[in-house]
This record gives sequence, C-alpha cells and structure tokens, in this order.
Amino acid sequence: MNNIAYTEISKSVRILCVNTDKFKTNCIKVDFYLPIGEYFPAQNVLASYMGHTSKKYSTVKAFNSKVEGMYDACFDTTVSTVGEKVRIRFSMEILDDKFSIDGNSISQEAVDFLVEILSNPNATENGFDEELTTREIRFTLENIEAMKNDKRAYAVSRLRQLMCKDEPYGIDNEKLEEGVRNLDGKQLLDAYKDMLKTATVVITACGSVDSEMLKDKFEAFAEKIENRNPAELETVFVTKADEIRYFKEEMDVNQAKLVIGLRAGMKDSNDDYFAYRVMTDIFGGGPYSRLFLNVREKMSLCYYCGARLIREKGIILIQSGIEEENYEKALSEILNQLDIMKKGEFTDEDFNSSIIALCDAFKGVEDSPVAVCNFYSSQEFDEKIISGEEFAKKIGAVTREQVIECAKRVSVDTVYLLKGEENND
Amino acid sequence: MTNIKEIKNDLLKDSYYEIDHSSGFKIFVYPKENFSSSYAVFGTKYGSIDTCFKVEGNEKFTEVPEGIAHFLEHKLFESEELDAFARYAKTGASANAYTSFDKTCYLFSCTGNFEDSLEILLDFVSNPYFTEQTVQKEQGIIGQEIRMYEDEPGWESLFVLLRAMYHEHPVRIDIAGTVESISHITADLLYECYNTFYNPANMALAVAGNVTVEQVLKIADKMLKPKESKKIERKFCKEPATVVEKTAMKNLSVAMPIFAIGFKEDVKTPLRTLKESMESNILLDIIAGPTSSLYEEMLNDNLINTTFDTEYFEGYGYSAHIFNGESTDYEKVRERINQEITKLMETGVDEESFQRIKKKHYGSLIMDFDSIDSISNSLISAYFNGEGIFDQLKLLESITVEDVNRRLKEAFNIENSSMSVIKNKEGK
Repeated sequence: MNNIAYTEISKSVRILCVNTDKFKTNCIKVDFYLPIGEYFPAQNVLASYMGHTSKKYSTVKAFNSKVEGMYDACFDTTVSTVGEKVRIRFSMEILDDKFSIDGNSISQEAVDFLVEILSNPNATENGFDEELTTREIRFTLENIEAMKNDKRAYAVSRLRQLMCKDEPYGIDNEKLEEGVRNLDGKQLLDAYKDMLKTATVVITACGSVDSEMLKDKFEAFAEKIENRNPAELETVFVTKADEIRYFKEEMDVNQAKLVIGLRAGMKDSNDDYFAYRVMTDIFGGGPYSRLFLNVREKMSLCYYCGARLIREKGIILIQSGIEEENYEKALSEILNQLDIMKKGEFTDEDFNSSIIALCDAFKGVEDSPVAVCNFYSSQEFDEKIISGEEFAKKIGAVTREQVIECAKRVSVDTVYLLKGEENND
Repeated sequence: MTNIKEIKNDLLKDSYYEIDHSSGFKIFVYPKENFSSSYAVFGTKYGSIDTCFKVEGNEKFTEVPEGIAHFLEHKLFESEELDAFARYAKTGASANAYTSFDKTCYLFSCTGNFEDSLEILLDFVSNPYFTEQTVQKEQGIIGQEIRMYEDEPGWESLFVLLRAMYHEHPVRIDIAGTVESISHITADLLYECYNTFYNPANMALAVAGNVTVEQVLKIADKMLKPKESKKIERKFCKEPATVVEKTAMKNLSVAMPIFAIGFKEDVKTPLRTLKESMESNILLDIIAGPTSSLYEEMLNDNLINTTFDTEYFEGYGYSAHIFNGESTDYEKVRERINQEITKLMETGVDEESFQRIKKKHYGSLIMDFDSIDSISNSLISAYFNGEGIFDQLKLLESITVEDVNRRLKEAFNIENSSMSVIKNKEGK
C-alpha cells in the first residue's frame, strides 16, 4: 500500500500526494474545477495560452526549452468536462531526481515552473497579449474543428449535444467556436482571474516528490490569491428518459458510426456506482461482454461494439462502427442485449468474467505514476478516497441481483447514426 | 538445456534475464519490484511486409494475399474448443494482439493468476485451428476494421505517403490488407504462413512486472515444446532511391488539410543500426522539434498548429524521416522544411541545440523503463533487431554532433521526398 498524504491547504485547495520510490518518473497534476458557464470559451483558450507562454518564458522556444531542459519533462495543459464541471489541467511528468546529471532537484524545478506559470501569465494589468491571444484562438478553434477528423469522437460529441440539449453537459461546439472567435486579451485576463478566485483546486502528485516542499510552494501560491470564493460544483442527473429520440446525420464517412445514449438511472455519481460499473461491463466491457460476443462475434456486424459508464453524469454510451445497411439489425440486437440485462438472463459466467476482469484491472491501477494520479484525482469528489485494492474489493462485493436492479433502472434516451452522404460522388 | 543470463544496468539499477530455453525459444524476464501487475508478449517476426518469402531449401518464393499476417493474428485466438478470450475470461487477464509492418504480438496483462494466463498465451499461439467457416466469419469483422481505418485521416495520410514514396516495397500496403485481398485468404494459406513464421527461431517471449524467472520457466517448460526452427528468406525487393510521386492527395472529410512529408532514405542494406535510428530521432528534434526555431516560426506564421510532429519510420528495407501536421498552406510548410534542411546541411547542427536534445533523449529513455508494457514490447523488438534494451542508454553517450551531421547528409535528399495531403472534396 502506498503512503498517501492528503491535505486541504486552504479553502477548496487540496493536495494529494502518493509517495513511492518504485518509479523512475514523477507526476504532478494541478486541476482547477469550475462550473460550465459563461467563461467556458475563454477557459479553452486560456489553457492553450498558458501552455505556450508565460511572463518569464514568453516565446514558444523559451517555454519549450525550459520544459525540455528538465530532461524531457512532459508538460501539458488541457480543458475537459467532468460531469458538468470544467477541469483545467496543468500536468507534468518528470524524471526522478535520482537521475539528475548535475544533482539538482528536477521535482523542485518542476514545481517552481508550475507555480511560476500559474502565478505570472504573459499579461499586463489590461489583459493578455493581443497578438498571442489571436494565435491561441486559432489553435483552439482548429482543435475544436479537428474533432471532425475523428469520426467516432465526433459522433459521440453530437450525441452528447443532442441528448443533453437542455443540460450544461450538452456542449454545443458551434456556440463554443463562436464564443472563442470573439474573445480578446482582456476577457482572457478576466477568465484567468475568475479561475484563481472561484475554482476548486486539486493538486495530485505521485512518486518521490517531497510532499512538504509541494505543500509549502502551493500554500504560498494560494495565499497570494485575494478574495477566494470557490463556486458550487453541481451536475444535474436525469434519471429517466421519457421516450427514445432518433437522429441520423450525414457526413463524408465510409463506415457508419452508431452511438446510443442511455440514462443509467443514477441519482448522483455515488449512487450504486460499483454495481453500475459491473452491469455496464457485462453488457459492453471486455471481449467477454454481451455486445462483443453477440454483435461482433456471433453476427459479424462490426469490429467494435462496446458500452461505457460516464459516472459523473450518470449516462451510458454505446458505440459501434457498422455498414449503414446493418443499422436496424445492429440496433435491435444491442437493445435485445440490454433487455437480457434487465431480465437478468445473462449467465453466471458473464457475471463472473466481468467481476474477475474488473478486480484484476483495479488491483494493477497503481503501477504507473500517471495512472496513480488519474485514479486518485478522479475520486476528488467522492465520499471517500480509496486505493485500487479497496476499489477491487467493492467491485467484488457486487451481487447479481444488484446488477439486475441497476439494469432495470436504465432507459434508452437517444439513438444517433452518422452515415455516409447520399449521392456519394 | 536452458541457459539463463542476467543483464544489468547500473544507472537504472534494473536487470533482466535473457533465457535460451531448451525448446529453442528465446525468453526475457524483467522483474519489477513492488509492481502488482505483469505483462507478457509472445511475438513472431512476421508482419504485413512479409508477403513474399521462402523457407531455406525451397526453390520458389511463396506470395500470399495482402493482410494475411493480421488475419492470422485474429484467427489464432480461436480453437476447437474454447477460444482464447473465453479462457482469459476465467483468469481475469486483459488480453490483446497487434500486427505491425514487421511483427505480430500476442499479449496480456494481469495482477492475479499470472501462471494460468501465461499458459493460455503459450497454448493458443502454439496451436492453430482454422476452418473455412471461421475464416469466412472473420472476413466480416476485419472488413469492418478496414472500413474503420478508412475513416481515420491520420492513418490514411501515412499510407498515402508510403504509396507516394515506395514503388515496390510492401511497406506501401495496408497492414490489414483490403476487403478484396482478404477475400482470397483460405484456411490452407493461413496454415502455410503459420508453419513458416511461428517457430522458435523466429519468435520470442517477454514478460515484465510482478514475476520471477522460476514462474515463467515453470510454464514455459510445460507448454513450449521443441519445434523445428526454420530459416526464412525474405525477398529484399529492389526499391529505387527515387519516389513514385512528389505529391499525393486523397479526399476525406477533414476540418483542415492533413499533411505528411516524408524524406526517403536510399538504403543499401535491409536494416539501420540502433545508433543510426537514435541519430535520426535527435536530428528530427533539431530540425523541427518543439524547441527549434523552425517550429516557432511556422506556428507564428499560421502555417502549422500544435498537432505538428515528427517521426522516424524504419524497418526491414525502408527508412524515412516524416513530418506530420495540419495546414491550409501545406506547400509553404514543405518549402520551409526543405529550406531548413538545406541550411543545416550547409552550416551543420549547432552544439548547443545538440546537447539540449541529447539531454531530452536521456530523460525520455529512462522514463520508458517505468512501463511494463513498453519494456516487454521493446524487449521483443530489440531482440528481433539483434539488440538489447539497455543498448540505447549506453549508445546515447557516444553520439556526437558530427554523427548527427553525417546522418543528415546520408539520410536526407530533398529530391527523394514526397508529401501526402488528406483534404475535403472540392467545394466542401
């Protein structure tokens, strides 16, 4: 069992440090959680901007040289949504101090770098640099647009938007792009100030990073922020779909992409989570799952057909790539398999395969520094933070009956098909 | 007789065991202290480029349909009774397989029941079972896998580039073949490929993580039986130094044109040395890596965005330096890269950039040793190339700026370069 230090250094600023000497890499993640709101477009640009320039390292070359000089530290900034929370993440993977050629502490240098770029962005009191803002707006727009290159991801984002149209979760990419396009340096500065003032901040580290050093440096960082007033972070859970909605859209694709959105029936992210996890896995997890064995192996309709639970929003997504002419056949078999789950007609073997595979996977979750950080930081809003071993135990305690009860609460909300264009020439 | 040799590295404070097993198979075991999981790979030096081969002693070369190595990978999971996935479902291991240009690997990871899972791995890879019916069933599934890749512009961009660069070399064909080519695959052909490439001299097993040599040998002794080793001759096709075409386009729906620019190396021997590939990787960082002037200039001039990256692409009989990205003005990007290469050929690489990049590579080489999947897969690839996985760390120290300058001159010829562009149909 790893040695875990957990501290709240000030209001809604928390540090979780997993100390272990088994790795050659250390990992540090600084996450800012905010509600999805008016600053969302600016937050997207902000993360990109702060990942390429700062007051001290203003050019791309200077910024990247600093990062590269720390023995190829992997530094990244990302914006994503976790349920209906926005997460702006600054993450670093660095070589462990014991491999430093000149004897300097790489982890201390990395923490100093993180604090430096978070505290001193490339801005004046009037706003972020306009020229660089224009560049970062371009990167952000191209990044949003690039989702269309990945047809599977694009189909999922369309389903999400259509299914959760009236919820903050249903992000409309066109509106997001419009918002991004109209930004200026002043608005970026406002978004930056808002992030510092209202975000819940979670710092997660894994490896041999000195937890006292980490605490001291981030304490000093947090103390400088005036009038901290963390925003409430809530996600709406819709527990039932009234009726199934069907959508078909056309794009220049070779293979049709089918995405089905289900309401799991969860009231919040902790509601019967472990039983839902097992249920989704039996239904569409590994190669032992109902969807893999039937839609792929028995019917040869696809290469991939799987389901995953989005715990933070209480929805289940099913994805498959099929020939358009097989749409009815695939859809009806997928729904048939869901029905089998609800009626409890899956076999004991299905159930046992899933439990043993999930337990096995969670027991191994602490074998990479990045996985450790992701695993623990994903539990930040749970009732209690537990280890991979304890996680596996909870999975192992799920019963067949609980799985059936969960399946009964699932309802189909939206069926989406992205298909090739008619008159395809 | 089984021979065990321990190979240590003082910097990493790690060691692994290289085992010549009595069955004739090579086995590697890389124990990782305090790890809960283990990762095993059983691989054969047989990939999509092996479409024309003969076993020593035979007169004629055999030609097989494109995509057959990958097809075989799918089919090996099946047996007369329970298929491999159904067997793994009882141990809890997470199993998979992949086929690349030059190898096919079967793998699993697990935290519990390691020995049972290893037994399954060695068993199903050693015991093929194909019938015409199961071959037919797989044609539907793989057909959809091929169709899925047709919708992935990044993947398509690489293959359009390879076809623009290579006249003859089978690296130009898709790993999974085409819907048409796989329709010619039969059970008999699968057996022929299996019997040629799946034998001890052409295979290796690598395990890393929470394991001991004793555990691995216990199962290997039980499952790996001596088998005739075959000497395989691959056709080293005559590939001209020149490219097929300078620019190749393909239409797919994309947000912005995706380009790949490749500099084809005129290779005189089938394989590059490890040192040459390391020099190549350093060189790519110097030319257009994240700390190069070219990268920053192209970003600021709206020519590229942050998806831009570089890749050294090499294998048996092919070698190319590739630059990938998204741009509406890809011709300008090509021009800038060409200018930079020409300039560097004249001025040489500066010592400061070289030292900075070298330090970066030192860090990334060490960090790779945290991942048991990366270790196991590298053990297999290094062995197939006649190397060890600690060799790179030792070699890095010895690489000089002169080496990199030499490599630049021998591997880059602007005349022999191509660009692929994936873009929307006209008017979209």
